[in-house]
Amino acid sequence: MSATVRVRALQAVSVLTLLGVWEAVVRLRLVDPLFVPAPSAVIRGFGAIAPTAMSALGDTLLKTAIAYVLAAVLGVTGGIVIGSVRSLHDTLHPFVGAVYGLPKILVLPWIVLMLGFGTAPAIAYGTIHGLFPILVLVMGAVRDVDRTLLTVARSYGARPWQVYVKVILPAIVPSVLGSLRLGIVFCLLGVLIVEMFAGVRGMGSVMGGLANGFRAPELFAATGLVSVASIAIVLGLDHLNEKLSRWRG
Amino acid sequence: MTILAIRALILLAILALWEIAARVGNPLIYVPPSAALPALAELVRLRSYPDLPEHLLLTAQEIVVAYGLAVGGGLAVGFGLGLYRVLGRAYGPILAALYAVPSVVWYPSLMLFFGLDAASKIAFGFLLGFFPVTLAVLAGIRQVNVHLVTVARSFGASSVTVFTKVMVPGMLFTLMGGLRTGLALAVIGVIVGEILGSKSGMGSLINHAYGLFRTADYVALVIVTLVLIIASDAAASLVERRARRWTA
Repeated sequence: MSATVRVRALQAVSVLTLLGVWEAVVRLRLVDPLFVPAPSAVIRGFGAIAPTAMSALGDTLLKTAIAYVLAAVLGVTGGIVIGSVRSLHDTLHPFVGAVYGLPKILVLPWIVLMLGFGTAPAIAYGTIHGLFPILVLVMGAVRDVDRTLLTVARSYGARPWQVYVKVILPAIVPSVLGSLRLGIVFCLLGVLIVEMFAGVRGMGSVMGGLANGFRAPELFAATGLVSVASIAIVLGLDHLNEKLSRWRG
Repeated sequence: MTILAIRALILLAILALWEIAARVGNPLIYVPPSAALPALAELVRLRSYPDLPEHLLLTAQEIVVAYGLAVGGGLAVGFGLGLYRVLGRAYGPILAALYAVPSVVWYPSLMLFFGLDAASKIAFGFLLGFFPVTLAVLAGIRQVNVHLVTVARSFGASSVTVFTKVMVPGMLFTLMGGLRTGLALAVIGVIVGEILGSKSGMGSLINHAYGLFRTADYVALVIVTLVLIIASDAAASLVERRARRWTA
């Protein structure tokens, strides 16, 4: 109890000290406020961009949500299919591994060339970004299902669909939830990258514009806003995970 | 053998389909492999981009510096937080929360701060590589068997000996994984940074080719960049295997 209080106090003191030192350093002109704005200036900057930033953030999050649903559906079903069919897994896993490991950014110009500027490339790239981590984790989880359980189920005459529904699915739930938690950050990352690269709308293009215009206070405010939003989303998913696993028993 | 044959067949089928689709559709946008290969030959012979070696070297240098900083910073912060429990409990969660932020949000600020040259790419590569290294150190320290540390201490081992003889070998497996992920992410950071805005490096060439609709050159440049990336990962995997053999 007292240890927790001490830790919380240390966290609060550190953050406040950091902000205080930062403000002081800028006020004393030890750094150029053109590049590093004081926290107070960032707060004022947030006031200035709040209306635009909020609607841009909504736009980004909507694209992310669509990309996330696509990535989750494709990744989980693909992972289950490839993971459970042995011949499919053996032939395809080097391909999946290669695409998973290589930086997707290299195909971004191509995607923009094909799909133009706008919503479509952001959703497509966000989906690709989120899809592969989910696919790889689910595939691995299916491979790791206890072989004995599968053999027993089969020898007691379980039909293939029963093996999926009664054995494989319950066994992989924790990994699927974990992969879905990871996937959302990747989808958001993908959407933001496209918006920065070729965006005409959304938070990524707002931030790119602020950086090019040397509007540091507003840029820091926008960065903080996106960070808080994504931390909130991940914490929300964690909370949901916990509830689901408690329900699962 | 058969599985390798099937994989090769799949690869060939993909290339053939791509070739047909690109010819039927728009060869300028979809770049059939038959157009990409001559472009690659031109590129390697330094005809289409004579200054390719300089750009390739710059990107490689950015990767090396970014990764060096990420390893140094990651090991320092990881051991600092892992060995001093109060610090770990206070700052560990903050670090984990920051890791949940999509990294690219930091890039515009880095670009503003460090400019369009190599520094902003190095900073971004460092940032991406730093987290996996730090988190691997933290996870590795948690894996070290406490009893082994106690036994070593009670036999009179100094802190330094405990660290080098018990802790490091005990956590090496996890640590190497983190170091390898860190390299992959530092590479991605540098390349993402270059593509989002730069004046030199492979990313700037890719953007140049793409901006001028020289799509065959673009594909060739991507292939050269991929070779650089795969080479770096192969080197990392070699080191990883060595280290694992050493602990085993």
